[in-house]
Amino acid sequence: MRSTRRLTGGLGVVAATALVLAACSGTPDGGTGGSEPGEEVPEGVTEVTFWQTSFTDEENEWYEGVVDAYNESQDEVHITLTAVPGDAWEQRMTAAQAAGNAPDIRTMNYGGVRAAALASEITPLSDLIGAEAWDDLQENVRGSVTVDGEEYAYPMLVEPSAVLWYRTDLFEAAGIDGPPTTWDELVADAEALTNDEVFGIRLAQNAPDMSWSTWGYQWNVAGHLPISDDWSEAMATTDYAPLLQAFQDLFASGALPPADGVGYPDSATFGDGQYAMMANGSWAASQLLNDYPDLVPNVAVAPMPSFDGQSGQTTATLGGWTWVVDGNSERSAEAAGFIEWALGGDTENVVPFFEATQFSKVSPRVSVADAISALPDVDSVNPWNAVIQEEIVPFAQPEPAYPWNVSLAMGEAIEAAMQGTAVEEALAAANEKINTEIANSQLAGTGS
Amino acid sequence: MLAPALVLLGIFVLWPLVYAWYVSFFNWSFYTESTFVGLRNFRLVLADPVFWASIGRGLRFSVIVVPGIMILAFAFANLVKTMGSRMATWLKVSIYIPTVISGVIASIVFVLIYEYRQGLLNWLISLVGFENQPWLGSASTALLALTAPAIWLGLGLASLIMLAGLLDIPESYFESAELDGAKWWQRTVFITIPLMRNIGLYLLVTSFVATIQQYELPLIMTQGGPTQSTLLPNLHIFLRFTNDVTVGYSIAAALLLFVVLGGLSAVIFRVINSEKAVDG
Repeated sequence: MRSTRRLTGGLGVVAATALVLAACSGTPDGGTGGSEPGEEVPEGVTEVTFWQTSFTDEENEWYEGVVDAYNESQDEVHITLTAVPGDAWEQRMTAAQAAGNAPDIRTMNYGGVRAAALASEITPLSDLIGAEAWDDLQENVRGSVTVDGEEYAYPMLVEPSAVLWYRTDLFEAAGIDGPPTTWDELVADAEALTNDEVFGIRLAQNAPDMSWSTWGYQWNVAGHLPISDDWSEAMATTDYAPLLQAFQDLFASGALPPADGVGYPDSATFGDGQYAMMANGSWAASQLLNDYPDLVPNVAVAPMPSFDGQSGQTTATLGGWTWVVDGNSERSAEAAGFIEWALGGDTENVVPFFEATQFSKVSPRVSVADAISALPDVDSVNPWNAVIQEEIVPFAQPEPAYPWNVSLAMGEAIEAAMQGTAVEEALAAANEKINTEIANSQLAGTGS
Repeated sequence: MLAPALVLLGIFVLWPLVYAWYVSFFNWSFYTESTFVGLRNFRLVLADPVFWASIGRGLRFSVIVVPGIMILAFAFANLVKTMGSRMATWLKVSIYIPTVISGVIASIVFVLIYEYRQGLLNWLISLVGFENQPWLGSASTALLALTAPAIWLGLGLASLIMLAGLLDIPESYFESAELDGAKWWQRTVFITIPLMRNIGLYLLVTSFVATIQQYELPLIMTQGGPTQSTLLPNLHIFLRFTNDVTVGYSIAAALLLFVVLGGLSAVIFRVINSEKAVDG
């Protein structure tokens, strides 16, 4: 019986994929919004192009709405919005940059801002956006977009990138009370919860996802990042060994399954009931509430455990999205004008975004955060909001700003350890890769 | 008469190649003034163990995929030759279908086949009592798992070319050999294979070059992982192109790959001499 069910499941997935593919084939990238590329831009109006990473439907709708509202609010600038899927982003962006037609505005992670600013890929915005909009930002978030005294991006949202989501019903059935508070407990719980139907835990499954989603654990286990503050020396020391060892143990025991091709930010497989625990960002709230309402009463959140068991430590980084203006844009003033209107102006423009995403993200603007906390139903819409706001966000660190290849070296080390490479060997390889990157990209002395 | 061809060749092949060599000597970025760095990009690539490992991996991958394609295509062509014309048409169409399927779709289909808990393959091996295997999730099996879709995608065209070559051999050779008492095996070894030498050489070189440059399958199925065990040379260059702040490394690596492939193809041509058909 079991085998038959499995085969049927497999065929079901094939059929579903075929349907999705069929459905996708006729849909342009721009989604269904009113401002797609190719649309007529009235004569005499400056066209400003804007690429957003494609997120959930609710988020994409907000983007379309705010762009349409801006286009209607004035008749000098027309914003043309394109939603680009995350897995195609780097390819399309690099191709557009090479061809000299990169979009004027694009979404960018905090972690990318410093490197992009140093490479002149993005335009400084300090003088293009009014002081009022800058002063409304929380100081630490403003710091994440400031390079050598100039702001290079306008922050849109922050969200902790690692939150422990767990199934209270499965914990109860297994006789485990409460979420793990140390990594040793996490490994033991995950093993205890694993059976034929359910895996113990879902973590990032491939090197690129491990590179960024584990920043918080890297902070926690070693107390430092794998490169010195001035970016002159690799520091992927054996301080990181317990983290790599945990991945190795979880994978060897079968509690952490092999990669299934679903990216870390996607909580669909947890929603389908395949996992007892999941590390994911706070954004998973939105997907679970929208797509898996039946599961919601059985899901709780906690901070990811620390290695020494103490609470109130960094186990997550505060990631999120900013909007930037391309370094080669000839319409940077118009582009910055739109950013100021949409993100930095009237709170009415941005509050709907946080409502649409069920308050699974946090606004970096004081006035917007105040407007949201004045809303009556935040905690009833998002049952996990309080824990995330009180136990995770205050202890999260900003995303590191060093170039991606440094993060990737650590991601590759964690993956190698998971696959069975000796932990010390994996760390030594990462240290060497980081030192090579420092030499090749001439990083020494350019750190923050 | 040659002018249009030369112009097109110049625009689409020669100029990009010359420009690529030129750019490879610069620290080239899309946003700042490029700086001349001489051979630095090439030195970086040559000193990069990941680049060499990816070339070695590409060769290992080809050593499985290319003979796989050639042997299966040869067997298939022989099978079709013995069939009636209606059956032969049906077989030819079905073997050619994978060729017109996009590599992306094939990758997705094979990801589903290799899936850990619900995949077709693990279901099949569970019938004979084996445990689930993480085909794409383990560094020891991932590259091998990619060879199946690579062979499947390459088989159609190779089979039809093999078949054309096979049908081109005059039937009288086989008839007289048969009269002399030659068995199927002897006819194949002494007539078919020698007369298909040029076809074989062509398929060997083209499928080798195509296989070692494969990047769609690892990009979609494994993103080069786990632990870079499926990071084939083109995928490595592609990922560096999208991740690096400057693109000098990827251009230099692409040019070096071009040199390596050109060299290997030349070696193959040298070792297996191409000959004019003897049946005139």
